[in-house]
Amino acid sequence: MHATSANILATAVGPHLLWLTSRAAGIVALLLSSLSVCVGLLIGGRIVKGHRQELRVTHEALSLATLAALVVHGVTLLGDGYLHPSLGDIAIPFLSGYKTLWTSMGIVAFWALAVLGLSYYARTRIGVQRWRRLHRFAALAWILGLAHSLGEGTDAGQTWFLAMIALAVVPALLLLISRMLDSATAPQAIPAPQAARSATPAGRPGARAVRPAAVTRAGVAR
Amino acid sequence: MTSKPRTAEQLDARALARTRLEAMRRRTRRIRRSVTGLALALFAASFTIVYVQLASGHDPALVASARKRAAAASAASSSAGASSSSAAGESTTTGESFTTGESSSSESGESSTGASAVTTSQS
Repeated sequence: MHATSANILATAVGPHLLWLTSRAAGIVALLLSSLSVCVGLLIGGRIVKGHRQELRVTHEALSLATLAALVVHGVTLLGDGYLHPSLGDIAIPFLSGYKTLWTSMGIVAFWALAVLGLSYYARTRIGVQRWRRLHRFAALAWILGLAHSLGEGTDAGQTWFLAMIALAVVPALLLLISRMLDSATAPQAIPAPQAARSATPAGRPGARAVRPAAVTRAGVAR
Repeated sequence: MTSKPRTAEQLDARALARTRLEAMRRRTRRIRRSVTGLALALFAASFTIVYVQLASGHDPALVASARKRAAAASAASSSAGASSSSAAGESTTTGESFTTGESSSSESGESSTGASAVTTSQS
């Protein structure tokens, strides 16, 4: 009896297996990216003092897990029997004919997250300050991904989905808003070398690396 | 080129640094494992929810497409019924329209509305 019902379930779900996997991976990607944004904002914020190293490792692991989930989300769609998307449809914006705007938002969000996230490993070549400025756009990519999931997601209207997303997204949004307000109300950042000169006692060259970061923390370049 | 012998303080500092580095590596490994576990658990939970939704017939996409199909079928059969009733009114009814109506009502239970429309037009 149990075997029969299991067979019926398997038959019913079988053709949709990749679609289900893609949906689940998309949900996981959204949740992980929201957590990653939260942790990233906590690293540069004033709420959590200390534990920077742990937060940084957590942020990195969450970001990599998000990218892995996004790859699963896209690649499993390739085997979907209903949409039959091509590689271009899932990788190039404005190519897919299915809900073109929302799909493109998701694709742009993925590429932006991949580039802005993985560029962490080349930040010394890019320049740390420049990389930090660029990395802020990761929050925008996350918002694009959120819009993609709410606009195109199959489960977007479901209560469980909205509750699950709200748990992860609302704290991240609040942290993001608080960071933006902080940046807007903070006094203009003193240019780093000048700040270092004015703040560093003479004969302490080692302090130069510390002070500019402390000055910019309250200003623009976080 | 001989290196200077290290003092006890220097050796202690090196040992301390090594210990701290090792502790940091352990923490890093633990965090990575936790995040991997969290990601897998979230995936399992999301997949289960979506799977149960689909298997129990409450999948939003499939329900919506079934509704669309039913609406299209009922619209098609009602328009067929309307055309057959108007044809009956003009006394130019052929056997074909009745045959179509009967077959559609016997083919699927989904188009029960359509079938009733056909029955009405027949009566």
